[in-house]
Amino acid sequence: VHQVFENVAEKYDVMNDSMSLGIHRLWKDILVRKMNPSPGTLLVDVAGGTGDIAFRFINYVRSVRGRQLQQKLKRHQNLSWQEISKSYQEEKTNPLGDSQVVVCDINKEMLKVGKQKAQHLGYSEGLSWVLGNAEELPFDDDKFDVYTIAFGIRNVTRIDLALEEAYRVLKPGGRFLCLEFSHVSNPLLSRLYDLYSFQVIPVLGEVIAGDWKSYQYLVESIRRFPPQEELKAMMEDAGFFKVDYQNLNGGIVAIHSGFKL
Amino acid sequence: AGLRCQLYAPQRALRTSAALRRASEEHRKEPNSQQHFDPHPAEPPPEREAQGPSPSSTGQGGQESEDYESEEQLQHRILTAAMEFVPEHGWTAEAIAEGAKTLGLSPAAAGMFHTDGSELILHFVSQCNTKLTDLLEQEQKLVQLGEAEKKPTDQFLRDAVEARLRMLIPYIEKWPQAVSILLLPHNIPSSLSLLSSMIDDIWHYAGDQSTDFNWYTRRAVLTGIYNTTELVMMQDTSPDFEDTWRFLANRVADAMNMGDAAKQVQSTGAALAQGLMGAAVTISNLTGLNQRR
Repeated sequence: VHQVFENVAEKYDVMNDSMSLGIHRLWKDILVRKMNPSPGTLLVDVAGGTGDIAFRFINYVRSVRGRQLQQKLKRHQNLSWQEISKSYQEEKTNPLGDSQVVVCDINKEMLKVGKQKAQHLGYSEGLSWVLGNAEELPFDDDKFDVYTIAFGIRNVTRIDLALEEAYRVLKPGGRFLCLEFSHVSNPLLSRLYDLYSFQVIPVLGEVIAGDWKSYQYLVESIRRFPPQEELKAMMEDAGFFKVDYQNLNGGIVAIHSGFKL
Repeated sequence: AGLRCQLYAPQRALRTSAALRRASEEHRKEPNSQQHFDPHPAEPPPEREAQGPSPSSTGQGGQESEDYESEEQLQHRILTAAMEFVPEHGWTAEAIAEGAKTLGLSPAAAGMFHTDGSELILHFVSQCNTKLTDLLEQEQKLVQLGEAEKKPTDQFLRDAVEARLRMLIPYIEKWPQAVSILLLPHNIPSSLSLLSSMIDDIWHYAGDQSTDFNWYTRRAVLTGIYNTTELVMMQDTSPDFEDTWRFLANRVADAMNMGDAAKQVQSTGAALAQGLMGAAVTISNLTGLNQRR
């Protein structure tokens, strides 16, 4: 797994766009919207290498925070100048409302690309980059509000261990969200999808990233991954409650959600 | 694993739960993560139980699961805690998140509910209805014990509706928002059923024993009274909502009179019919159609 991603790190984003025809952005947007984070949320994004989820999270929280401050101003009808300027200052110095995201990845290269992207796009606050293994996270218990793993859990050898670790680092009431390729039940769609996966994707891999094998590995790992219900059962075994999944695009991708209660 | 379960998420033994705790324990602000019992997660897969919210006996590791509350009960507690934040945040996920925080849970727990706040409102309505039922029950007991007088129907209805509407007062500013959410298509079945069971209860305690068509008319009338009074209340700015109670009294009086009016109409109808008959006989006499030979 390490090897695959070392090769792939630089071109990761480009490949994502070409393979999913850009739809992966929508999937990630839906994930963050489903999360609906409020300012002050602590997120750990595991296998989050290039930071896609992290950046979306920051954007979301910033806009929610802006709205909150606006509403607060609207509610008070007689504010002194001092109070108004204080609230503007608050918006400047604390635009995220103390929300933070920790991006954790097993691969240094991916983190490097992520950090560069962050600098390039202008994200500075509220982000941390940590090297770590999903099966053995370098964090304390009961730390995070939300744990996400987007397109990363299929690369984990022992999924049950990863789930247990997720359970451990989440605060009580915390939420586990997993965005992953999953099982398509519709037979017609399934056939088209298979065709696309096995014929087109490795070719794209060779053309764009010069690496056929890694992308074939990718497609095979998707097929090997447990289907929706099975992942749901595994989450319940790890101790999550209210486990539920939402199929996107007919099951090509699914978002699983569970709570540590 | 042969039990079919209608629930989407199975109700199962709540072993290593951090925040779901014994129903007997009362106020704990700190989620108790030391209550980790040994049942290994890799044990037999959770059985599906088609039980109600309180798991009384479960298949595996049943020794400690009897006392734990279920997910639904925890959800109820979160919603109840969220109520105090409604005046500030409205019926939204923010209020639920704040409520979860007071229970020591992460605000992400608000993700368990819809973002439009429907569950919060429905929860509130059903709690109010329960309170009303308890109130009416107690009053009835007092009457039965002879400690209070049995109220005449119109007084009873007025008091019951007023009591129920007064429960809205702390949230009256955000109530219009709640009403509009309750009218959303996916909420209508639940909100309608809550409303009709409340009206049912009121009539039941008012002593309505009818089994005929009157049952429907009574329910429809009272529902109309309740809804219109609620609407009036939302725009009422008089001290302690006096205008609303006056409106209510008038509507109830109207409803009572309607019953009388119906009887009057009947008797008037009979009188009219007789008059017409008489007139017809007189005319026929005058025109000689009734000639007797």
